[in-house]
Amino acid sequence: MSVQRNGYSFEGLPLSEVPNGTNLLVTGPALGGIRTLLLRMLLRGNRREGALFITADTDGPTALSEYAAVGGEHDPMRVGVVDCTETGVDDAEHNVHAVGSPNDLTGIGIEFSSLYESLYANGAERVRTGVYTLAPFVVYSSVKPVYRFLHTLTGRIRTADGLGVCAIDPDAVETETLTSLAQAFDGRVVLRSENGEAAIRVEGLADQPDGWQRVEF
Amino acid sequence: MAGLTIACVDGDPQARRETRDALVEGGHDVVSCGTVGEAADLIGTGDIDCVVTEYALPDGTGLNLTDRIRKRSPDTPCVLFTDASPDRIDSTGYEDVVVEYLPRDTPEAHDSLSRLVENVVAQRTQVGYPLPPEEDERLAALAQYDLPGLNAADTFDRLAALAQHRFGVDVAFVGLVDAHEERFLACAGEDWETLDREDTMCTHTILEDDSLVVEDVSADPRFADNERLVELDIAAYAGVPLRTRQGATIGAFCLTHSEPRSFSEAKIADLQRFADEAMEQFELRRRLAEAGSDTSADPSPEPPTEEPRETSETAPDPQDDTGGELS
Repeated sequence: MSVQRNGYSFEGLPLSEVPNGTNLLVTGPALGGIRTLLLRMLLRGNRREGALFITADTDGPTALSEYAAVGGEHDPMRVGVVDCTETGVDDAEHNVHAVGSPNDLTGIGIEFSSLYESLYANGAERVRTGVYTLAPFVVYSSVKPVYRFLHTLTGRIRTADGLGVCAIDPDAVETETLTSLAQAFDGRVVLRSENGEAAIRVEGLADQPDGWQRVEF
Repeated sequence: MAGLTIACVDGDPQARRETRDALVEGGHDVVSCGTVGEAADLIGTGDIDCVVTEYALPDGTGLNLTDRIRKRSPDTPCVLFTDASPDRIDSTGYEDVVVEYLPRDTPEAHDSLSRLVENVVAQRTQVGYPLPPEEDERLAALAQYDLPGLNAADTFDRLAALAQHRFGVDVAFVGLVDAHEERFLACAGEDWETLDREDTMCTHTILEDDSLVVEDVSADPRFADNERLVELDIAAYAGVPLRTRQGATIGAFCLTHSEPRSFSEAKIADLQRFADEAMEQFELRRRLAEAGSDTSADPSPEPPTEEPRETSETAPDPQDDTGGELS
C-alpha cells in the first residue's frame, strides 16, 4: 500500500491543505449552507481516498444524493454511510448501514468502526469522515457518552491519518456545550451567511487564510 | 506503548488463548477470564489499562461487561474483538456505554488489535469529559508537584477554611486533577477525598484561562444530568485553575454551595488570590524537594491567620454572602 504523504486539500474552497489526521469542527447556520460546505470538504481528492458519512438528520440515500449533487462520486467500495435516523434501513448495494436512532451512540460507534475498517480493506488509502450533524447526538444523549463517542471517533481518524469533519449549528446547542465539545477537535471552520453571501473563517489551525473568506455554494 | 495490563475476556478457551498470546507478543501483560462476572471482579482490582472482550459471553455480553466497567472504572477503555458483525450486536439498553469495535476477520487482526489497544489507552479515547490539548504534559507537570510526603495538609486546610468563611459557601477545597480522578488535598465543609474525573466540574475548570463559574448547576448542560453532583449537594460552583509558572494546570481552588448563587467579579478575583497562594505553596514544596530538603518540615515560617494577600473587598458582600440566589 502506498502512503500519501500530502495532507488533505479542499478544491474550490478557500481552505489550505490540512495535515493527515486532522479533525475539524464546522459551525454555522443550518440553513446557511453548512451541509453543502461539509459535503464539499468530503469530496475525495482521488479515487484511492474513501469517504464515510455519519448522518443523523437525513437518511443514507439522501446523503449520497446530496454528495453526488456537489460532485461526489459514489463508489460503494470506498464510500459508505452510517444512517442514524429513526427511519434508516440497511442498503448493502449503496453501502448504507442503519443504526436506528441518534441516541444509540454505542451502535453508531460500532457501525462506524466496522465501515471504516471495510473501506480500508477495500483499498482506500485514507478516508474522509463527515458527521452531519452533531446536534441530535447532543440533544438525545447525556454529555458523558457524547464526549466518549467524539473521542473514539476523532481518535480513530487521527490514528489512521484520516480527515474528520463534524458539523453543528451553534444555535442548536448551548454555548457551554459547544465550547467543551470543541476541545475534541484540532480546529474550527466557522461559516456565516449574511444577505445571501456566505463566508468562512478558520480558527485554531496554522497556515490557513486569515479572516473571512467568501465562499460560493 | 508496551507494558500495558490488559484483561482478555472470551468464553472460548482457544480464542482467548490466541488473543492473549498476540497481546503478550505485543509486549503487554494479560490477565484472562471467560465470563462477565470474572471480568468485573478483575476490573475491581483497579490495575487494568484496557479490556478486550468477545461480544457473546456465557453469562452476558461484552456490552453488559462494559456497562459494569463504566460504573466502577469509567475511564477504562473497552474493545469488542469479536466474530459478531454489527447487525448481530444488540446495543439496546447499552446505548451510552460506547466501545471500540474490531472484527476478528479484519486482515492481520491481532496486529491491528495491539495497535488499537495502545491507541485507545494513549489517546484516552473513551473518557467521558473534554481533555486539555496538552494532557500528557499537564500530567507530567502534576507529577512534579504532587509529591509523596508533601505534608501540606495543614496549610491547605487553613486556606480552604479561610475561603469557606470568606465567601460564605458550604464547601471550599483544593483539588488536584489527575489522569482519572480528582483528589481533594483539603476540603472545608465536607470530607471528600476523591471523585471520578468524569463527575468533576474541575476537569472543565482546568480548560479555562481564568475561572469557571456556574451559578446554577442544574441549568448548565454540561452538568445538569450529573447525578453525582446532586448526591454531593452541589448547586453552585466557582473554581480557579491552579497553574504552574510554566502554564500547566494541575488542579483548581474551588467553592461549592447547596443553593444556586452568584459570585461577583470581585469575589472571583479574591478566589484567584487564594489559588495563587495555594500554587505558591505547591511551588515552594516542589523547590524544596528539588533541592533535596526535608519536606517533612513545614516550610511556612508564619502560617496565614488572615485572608491571604490583600483582598479587593474589605467587607463581605451581603448580596453574595446571603446566597445571591437565582430566581
